[in-house]
Amino acid sequence: MSPSPVGPYLPLAVTLLVSGLMAAALPVLAHFLGPRRASKVKSESFECGSVSEGSARQRFAVKFYVVALLFIVFDIETVFLYPWAVNFKALGWFGYAEVAAFAATLLVGLAYVWKKGALEWET
Amino acid sequence: MTLPDLTAADLQPVLPALVLAAGASVLLLSEVFLTTASRSHLALIALGSSVLAGGVALATAFEPAHAVFQGLAVQDPFSSFVTVVVCLGLAGVVLLSADFLKQRQAERGEYYALMLFAAAGMSLLAMSAELITLFINLEVLSVSTYALTAFLRRGPRPAEAAFKYFILGAFSAALFLYGSALLYGVTGTTRLADMVGPLRTAMHTQPWLATCALALVAAGFAFKVAAVPFHMWAPDVYEGAPTPVTALMSAGVKAAAFAGLVRVFLFLGRADPEVVALALSALAVLTMVGGNLLALPQRNVKRMLAYSSIAHAGYLLLGVAALFPHPGTGVLAATPLMLGSPAVNSADAYKGILFYLLAYTVSSVGAFGVLSVLERHADGDGATAWDLDRFSGLAQRRPGWAVAMAAFMLSLAGIPPTVGFMGKLLVFRAAVDSGLLGLAIIGVLASAAGAYYYLRIVVYMFMRPAPAEGVLPEKYWATELALVASAVAVVALGVLPGRVADWLSQSGMFFGTR
Repeated sequence: MSPSPVGPYLPLAVTLLVSGLMAAALPVLAHFLGPRRASKVKSESFECGSVSEGSARQRFAVKFYVVALLFIVFDIETVFLYPWAVNFKALGWFGYAEVAAFAATLLVGLAYVWKKGALEWET
Repeated sequence: MTLPDLTAADLQPVLPALVLAAGASVLLLSEVFLTTASRSHLALIALGSSVLAGGVALATAFEPAHAVFQGLAVQDPFSSFVTVVVCLGLAGVVLLSADFLKQRQAERGEYYALMLFAAAGMSLLAMSAELITLFINLEVLSVSTYALTAFLRRGPRPAEAAFKYFILGAFSAALFLYGSALLYGVTGTTRLADMVGPLRTAMHTQPWLATCALALVAAGFAFKVAAVPFHMWAPDVYEGAPTPVTALMSAGVKAAAFAGLVRVFLFLGRADPEVVALALSALAVLTMVGGNLLALPQRNVKRMLAYSSIAHAGYLLLGVAALFPHPGTGVLAATPLMLGSPAVNSADAYKGILFYLLAYTVSSVGAFGVLSVLERHADGDGATAWDLDRFSGLAQRRPGWAVAMAAFMLSLAGIPPTVGFMGKLLVFRAAVDSGLLGLAIIGVLASAAGAYYYLRIVVYMFMRPAPAEGVLPEKYWATELALVASAVAVVALGVLPGRVADWLSQSGMFFGTR
């Protein structure tokens, strides 16, 4: 008879149970045992020790999102280029043509975003 | 390693999509490099690309069905015809957009580029025969449409519409992906053709898992085609989007999503025709009745057309359900005992679905076109821009538009001699032939109820006095051309549907059925 499939996972289950109990118990214990002396300074939001200023609900400039998006696009290009580079010889001219078409499409995109000014940070 | 053996013959089927994508790239480049004062070349490039792509698809429409790209996609008359319909709708929408954007100083290359990219996705979606390819194309068309919805981004309405569309679209994409993952888990393949056998076995060995997978995929598509009860997003999104974009949604997106739905369920439905047919029939009844009832109280014509678009998805679903022959009659007796290939009786149903797609495309592009010329830029995005009163006395002020709009409304209501009537006739006949008599009767009753809100517009146009004050909407040649072309198509295809219907009833319409 083969060993029970549950066997190796038993320690994992115990750990899960214990950590679950801890997570549930600690806030409850802290609620009953901990002293609470609220003051104005304490109820301010904590910003690594420096005095907090202004509202946290600020609007972020759209350029952060644009840069993140563009990064992903060209990151994915690399993801596709690496396997091709590894198999460069085997894929031959067919692979070269495919990758050239792919890169050309992205080049159109790059020309567009560049000319559109999406790469300018100081505007 | 084995190299994929691709030849020029493999590229030919995707030529329409390549033309559209190339056109979109040219538009993007011309947007940044060609900074002239006049922007009318943008619409011309877009129009040229869509006509060229449609022409290429038309030229290859009689090729026998065959697999391309190692079976990731197929080319058959079905896919070619859907591409033609999409390009036709796109051309009409581009013509409507030209003046619409010019009035709003919003002529941008990106607008047309997004439309062309969306159309490329639609064309490829109709060809996809593999779940990952299918999903990517579904996303290409969806993401382009999300961005287009918010294109005129002033005011709260476009933002709301785009956000709703995006969130619910992402949700439906997740449902579709979840279903695809389960299907892959059950069958071990993502190719639809290879999936049928293992899925049929799984329907007996793991019925819950297999049924869940099918249900999730169906729900994903039901969102895209806005079938009741997955329709909640449609009225708000249709209302908030720029009117030409709404036309593209109701014509192009719907046609492509239906093409994908038919493609997937013709394969997967073979695994268990009973369950699939029952589910599709239930969706069809809910959508036909729900869409028409919800449209009845609408005074906002744009919302009314959105609900009407839902109702039309119902008639199309009836056609899809008719692909699976049912021996019984009536809704409750729709417990089909049919096994084996659904191709037994499906030629009529294909013809019905495709003709209906064509009919709905020309009619809805025309209807949204009239709506877009009646709405003025000065109105902003107020709800009164599309109020029924806008149509009062249109017959005296702009008799040509009134006659055209009447033709579109009659066609949407399914009254002869218009193309909408022929479409409904073909779909309902296919439904009756495959044993869905009860569903067909419900469909006829629902469309009779629908006639009320379509004809109400005709009554307003011809029998109500024109408002004393108010600016007369202006005429623009591109819009006029689109309206005239759609109106001619609506009547001509309604009177002489012969050629198109013959083409649609050729054999080997759909890959894998013969």
